[in-house]
Amino acid sequence: MAMRQTPLTCSGHTRPVVDLAFSGITPYGYFLISACKDGKPMLRQGDTGDWIGTFLGHKGAVWGATLNKEATKAATAAADFTAKVWDAVSGDEVLTLAHKHIVKSVNFTQDSSCLLTGGNDKTIRIYDINKPEAEPQEITGHTSAIKKALWCNNDTQILSAADDKTVRLWDRTSTAVVKQLSFDMSVSSMEYIPDGEVLVITYGKTIAFYNALSLDLIKTVDAPASIHSASLHPDKDFFVAGGDDFKLYKYDYSTKEELESYKGHFGPVHCVRFSPDGELYASGSEDGTLRLWQTEVGKTYGLWKCVLPEEENCEGRKFEETI
Amino acid sequence: MRTPMSVLRLPRGPDPNSRGFDPNSPRFIALCSTTISSSTDTETDSVQIGEEQCARSMLRESFLRTLIAMTNKQVQFYMYERVKVNAVFGASDIDVLNFQVSDLQTPIGVQKEALLRCQDVILYSFDL
Repeated sequence: MAMRQTPLTCSGHTRPVVDLAFSGITPYGYFLISACKDGKPMLRQGDTGDWIGTFLGHKGAVWGATLNKEATKAATAAADFTAKVWDAVSGDEVLTLAHKHIVKSVNFTQDSSCLLTGGNDKTIRIYDINKPEAEPQEITGHTSAIKKALWCNNDTQILSAADDKTVRLWDRTSTAVVKQLSFDMSVSSMEYIPDGEVLVITYGKTIAFYNALSLDLIKTVDAPASIHSASLHPDKDFFVAGGDDFKLYKYDYSTKEELESYKGHFGPVHCVRFSPDGELYASGSEDGTLRLWQTEVGKTYGLWKCVLPEEENCEGRKFEETI
Repeated sequence: MRTPMSVLRLPRGPDPNSRGFDPNSPRFIALCSTTISSSTDTETDSVQIGEEQCARSMLRESFLRTLIAMTNKQVQFYMYERVKVNAVFGASDIDVLNFQVSDLQTPIGVQKEALLRCQDVILYSFDL
């Protein structure tokens, strides 16, 4: 029997949520970090949305946030011209990396030894976290503010998307451009899937999938509204997208068919990401909330519990709906 | 007409009084190494750690005593953006995130009651 999706709303932020990221799966589950214009990024338990802590220290809107695979380190990019590295267990600030302009994006290498940053000063920087006082390696070339910079190809290359309507692939050692994609409009988001080397790019109403190594186009899908962010399921059977019309869309990746759309947010959706186990996806909105959505509605997982109203469950007791 | 999916409870929200990262959580206990550790390598280490802890306690106690001494006194706050304001200090919250003050003298008038964001304060001074 088909069940209706009940999203879980995570409140706490007081301004729009502009970025979110999941950690890998750790012995303590997986975690979620949210970047918010209120300057206070939050760490949450990934499968329940329970708040764990708030990283305090930034003096401006936080535009980007990320966790390392083990969820032991967090990094944030903010409008106060700094990127910060945090201990994600204690919540303590570990490093402040001063920049010359608003920082928009942060990304750890697989071994968490280096941090990639990008922002309004149009320069990609690579910091060695173990030698923070050393000058970062700089990669220039973009002619407008960088929106997102991500490690790819086993941390040997870098993918960057900027307001100059290009996505560029750089070699880390030579800092030269390997390949470039040009668009008619600014790219709104970018997601890199290492397993299978897939790059998910959104622009206008389009969700596009590229081979991350060759930057060859795999396919594009058009949505009913302007899309701000999309995410591909780890098994590559679904992808989800959200944008200007406040809705979340779920598509079949192979057939490009729109499977479901969900209302719930009270503002445009700025970011959406699948959890590392693919069981749920999280969305962040202009309305200041994060929402968790089940991939398979009806499955018992996290805080969702499948209760069939007709049946008598658990020694004949009647269940109450708890919403 | 589909039945909505049931939930056990809503996700827990932030604690208004603290920044979280519960030190009693299994993850914290397992992963967090502090400067004060119960198992030390050498005697020198344990002496150094003991000294450090004494210094920390002393500094923390002095700071808390200054907060007590400041209560109901006129305090000058020097803040970012070259802001300098006077106010009567009331209290601090437990994480020293906000100071509750009265009669805050601002360029646009006197605010009877106000909260000052501690992260915006560079220094404050008062007469004993």
